[in-house]
Order: sequence, then structure tokens, then C-alpha cells
Amino acid sequence: MANLMEKIASNLYDGEEDEVAELVQKALDQGMDPQDVLQDGLLAGMDEVGKDFKAGDLYVPEVLIAARAMHAGMNVLRPFLAEGGGTGMGKCVVATVEGDLHDIGKNLVKMMLEGAGFEMIDLGVDAKAETFIDAVREHRPKLVGMSALLTTTMVNMKATIEALQEAGLRDSVKVMVGGAPVTAAFAAEIGADGHAPDAASAVDLARALIA
Amino acid sequence: MTEQIAIPTLRPTMRMLSDDQIKEIHHTSLDILARTGIVMKNARARQLLLDAGAWESGGRVMIPSHLVMDAIAAAPSRIPLHNRLGELTMPLEAGKVFFGPGSDCIFTLDVETGERRKATAADIQNIARLCDGLQQIDFTMSMGNPSDVPAMDIYLHEFISMIRGSVKPTCYTANNRADMEDIYAIACAEAGGETALRERPFLILYAESISPLLYPDESVDKLLFCAEKGIPVTYPPSPNTGGGGPITLAGALALGNAECLAGLVLTQLVRRGTPFLYGMNTAALDMKSAIVSYGAPEWPTGMAAWSDIARFYDLPIWGAAGATDSKVVDAQAGAEAAISIMTAFLTRCNLVHDVGYIEYGTTSAMEMLVVCDEIIRDVRFVMDGVEVGERTLAREAIHRANPGGGFLADDHTLKNWKWAQWRPDLISRTRYDTWVEKGSLDMTARANARARKILAEHEVAPLSAAAEDAIAEVLAKRAA
Repeated sequence: MANLMEKIASNLYDGEEDEVAELVQKALDQGMDPQDVLQDGLLAGMDEVGKDFKAGDLYVPEVLIAARAMHAGMNVLRPFLAEGGGTGMGKCVVATVEGDLHDIGKNLVKMMLEGAGFEMIDLGVDAKAETFIDAVREHRPKLVGMSALLTTTMVNMKATIEALQEAGLRDSVKVMVGGAPVTAAFAAEIGADGHAPDAASAVDLARALIA
Repeated sequence: MTEQIAIPTLRPTMRMLSDDQIKEIHHTSLDILARTGIVMKNARARQLLLDAGAWESGGRVMIPSHLVMDAIAAAPSRIPLHNRLGELTMPLEAGKVFFGPGSDCIFTLDVETGERRKATAADIQNIARLCDGLQQIDFTMSMGNPSDVPAMDIYLHEFISMIRGSVKPTCYTANNRADMEDIYAIACAEAGGETALRERPFLILYAESISPLLYPDESVDKLLFCAEKGIPVTYPPSPNTGGGGPITLAGALALGNAECLAGLVLTQLVRRGTPFLYGMNTAALDMKSAIVSYGAPEWPTGMAAWSDIARFYDLPIWGAAGATDSKVVDAQAGAEAAISIMTAFLTRCNLVHDVGYIEYGTTSAMEMLVVCDEIIRDVRFVMDGVEVGERTLAREAIHRANPGGGFLADDHTLKNWKWAQWRPDLISRTRYDTWVEKGSLDMTARANARARKILAEHEVAPLSAAAEDAIAEVLAKRAA
């Protein structure tokens, strides 16, 4: 059994999506607890990927390929999981803030968090404060992530946090911010709960914030 | 011997693409514009394109190749950039290469303390003054977002700080049309009116679309403003490999070419002959750190390639060099700068920006500017090639030389040494003991001292009273 879990984790690490899907099915066929398959197989594999990426041993495409394998496994596993088929990590709403159409950095963070088991709700780019508020009301996420590439648009992070406050939703979520001009000092100044300088750190930060 | 016809000196150049490769990329770009299409967020620009023969399909604007070819034919092949004193110092035209810094860094290295901190408006002006005092730097760019002014006014203050700090032509950025109008008012005041500014432009706007294929409203609006006024603009997209562009350079070039040409089409639809600087940026999205690499070899390789494409279109060329991913001005910084500066020269890129960037464009460093100034001067010697003629072949000097005795005291040496040999300035060739006596300073430390010396001594002709009045008026209006 442990052997099968290790196989799932190592195939996931190598990005073998077909194998991961097959192995997850095999584990379920053998009557293993879906929650164990998730924790000891899929998430354990992604954990290893995350660690090695952070240590500089893996490249971004290798992480993304591993994340695809994770998805393949989840697709098999999801119907057997409780709580609506989630990983239990919770939901995270992400977007690039109003006035800013830059998508790439936000997408990378989204994919990394997805790989770590978060259920991601992506509001895209140029997201107004109301868009964030509507999404928080609808999805009840644990986390809200905001991205900005421009000095002129990062001020809208502050406006969004204030709008969450006014809507009475600020305390229901942890807010993390990132993007080229965003510093830890700026994050503290605008009342965000955390700042991550890169996508790998964003995963650590997200985990720490929901712990 | 009577005076004979001199043998022309070969000046080294490089080509990255063959004629066939250029055409294949060109055709792919035309295909991207007519079959894939762009997303145009500016309503007026969309209408301009549609009225001219473009069409909409699936939320995209499709631009047929005849619009592109018309625009290429209509755009001037040179942009005569002047300094703000009205002198032609920077004609962007075939064969000429000009260097300058980059725009809008988040941080700057404090030249006094070495601290990495947010830039102020005073920093922007000081960096411009340093550029003014550096002989190999031809134009200014802001090198920072001033953190001590209101966020919506940062670009206006960048422009004011740059033209106060230097007489050299300036490549500026702006947030929106309101910025453009204010900057234009100040520029007209300095030049002596709208016509004078059009005749002797001392400024060029740097705006950009977002790769892939996205044209933000305000970005396009700035482009249209320049076309309305007939003042120079560059609109280089950044199809960074693996990020904004495909992972492969050919794909990035085809995409970037298409994106740049769409900008060109818009300018020429508004006003035929609008001076448009062609180019793009092909950094690499680093697959480990996910930074956009400014020292990546993909950038100079791409620059040489799009320079070949620009020559095929007979358009002036935008490029980048002299930047590094290193967090300090070190050996990596020197290596990355030398490779890109050499390439910029070899490929005859006309306007080469980003000189002095460190930390993948996040931070500006005066020391890096000073180091690059020396590298540019050094590479310039290589570009001069080898003059072959009677005065350089030294026929008689060789004939009269004592075998083994050398040429040091020969008349030919004493007569020609000043021009025939390159002489280092910042680069050190002093003997070891002398170097120790002078404090054992490495090149970065010497560059720091040089930057401080220039800042302490270099004076810049002030702006005209009319320009200062225009600045006061614009700032008062914004404060109201």
C-alpha cells in the first residue's frame, strides 16, 4: 500500500499524468481511503515538487507538468472525496487589480497554488473591487490574492482591501499581494496579510496564512 | 607614389537572419494579424482600423496585409532626434547607434550609501545629469518611478526631472492622455512651439502593448496622441520567450513583429509619416526564478534578428543593451553588458536603451551606467575595423626597424599613437603597486567615484523660462 502511494507521488513528480490517473484508480480499486490517496499520494508528490522547486532543483515547466499529473489524479479521485470533491485546502480568489491587464505573473501564482491543492477562482485581469467582493460573497474563499505590475495600479490593492473592509468581508479572508513593484513594506502599509516576492514563496505564504 | 584611392575600411557588422528567414517571419506576422487578430481595447483605434479595411471576428480585430504594407511604406526611414537646445545629435537612421538608460525601475542603488531603495524625483534628475555628463550616453530615460510624488503624477515628474537634468534627447513614458498633454505642453514651451517641436523633436514616447496581442486602452491612446501631433513614438512589445511570447525565438519574433506592426499601422492611419521607431524586446522568462531576464542571450540574439527585419522594412530600430540580472555591479554585470553592447553595435541598432539596469530591470545603478560608458567606448574601437593604407601599414617603419629593437621610439609610433591605440579610462591597466597605492579599488568602486565626481562637477544648461513656466502651470493645474 505504502509502495503504491510512493508510486503515485513519484509518477506525479515526474509529470506522468496517465500513470498517475491509473495508479489512483488502482488504489481506489484496492479499497484504499480516498483521503489517504490524496494526502499520501498526490499532495505528498506535489509537496516534494514544491520543495525541490524552491530549492532551485526544478524548473517552472517541470512544476507545471507535475501539476497536470496532479489534475489527472484529482479527476479520478474527486467523485470519491467528501466536501464537494475538494482537497480540503480551501478556496483562493486571485486576480490582477483594476487598471492592470498583466496576466502572466498572476497565472503562475495561480498554477502553483493549484498544484499545492488550493481550489483557485481566477477573476482574470483588471478586476474592480466589486468583482473581488462579489467573488468572496459567492465562493467564501480562505484567501484573496492580488497582483499588479504597475506602480500606478498597485494603489488599487489598497482600495480593494478597503472595499472588503467596508463590505464586512475583510476578516473572513486572508489577503496576499504580489507583483514587481510590490514590497513587504507596501503590503504592510495597505493592510494586507502577506506579500510573496515569487510564486514559490506564494505557496508557502498561502499555507502559512490558512494554518 | 602619387596619392592613391584609399581602400575603404570594412566595419564589422552582423546578420542574424538570412533573406529567406526574414521573409518567413514577415509572412508569419502578416498571417498573425490577418488570421489570429489582435484584441483592441481602444474604441477609437478599433474604429480607425475597421474604417481602413480591417474587420472584426470573434472579438478580434483582423488587420489585412495591405494596411501593414501601406503603413511600412508611409513611415519615415529615419527619425532626426535633437537635443533640447535644437541641435541634431541623434539621427536615428541606417548605420547609426545611440545608447541610453532605461525607464521606470522600482529601486535605485544610492550612489552615496549603496542602499537599494525607492527612487525620488531628485534621483531621476541626478541620473539624467550623470547621463548628460557621460560622453557615450546619447539620451535619457527615467531609470525610476519617483516615490515622493503622487502615484498618478510619477511619469510627469519623470519627464520634468529628465529635461531639467539633461539637454540630451529623452525617451519618456506616460500613464495616459492627460500625461501626454501636459508633457507635450512643456515640450512645446521648451522647443518654441508645436511646429518647432515637430521639426526638431527632442523626445520620443515609449509605450507598449501587452504580449500576446493585447492593446490596452490608455496605451493605445498615447500612441494615437503622438500620431495626432506628429511627434516620435516607439511601441515595442515584449514577447519574452516563454512569457509574453512563445518559448522559441522565431515565434517570439513573428509575434513581436506582428504586434509592433499593428502599432505602426495605427500611427500611419492617424497621420502618414508619423515618426515610428520599430522594435521589440525579447527577454527570456527565466524558468527557475520566473524573472524576466535582462542579461539573457535571447535578447541580443533577438535584437540582431529584429534589426534585420527592420532593415527589410527600412524603418529605424529600437533595441536594448547594457543591462544585467546581477543584483550588484559585478563580473556578471560586466559580461552581460559587454555581450549586449557589442551585439547592438554589430547589428547597427539605432536607439539602444536599458543601459545601467541591474537586477533584471528592477533597480538602476549609476555605477552600471559608468561601467557601460567605458564598455561602449571600448567596443566602438572594435567597430572602427582595421584601416589598411600607407599610414597604417607602416611600410617604412618596418623597413627601418632594428630587428628585435621594437617600435616604441619610432617616428611612426610617436606620430600615430594617439589615434591608433585605444586608451582606457575607467578600465585599469596600472601596475599592481600603483593600484594598491590608490586604494585597491575594483571597477565598480572606481565607477562609483566617477559618478560622484560627475554629479559634483557637471553643469547642465537650464530649461528655458518658458518651459519652467509651463511646468509651474501644469503642476498648479494638477494640484488644484
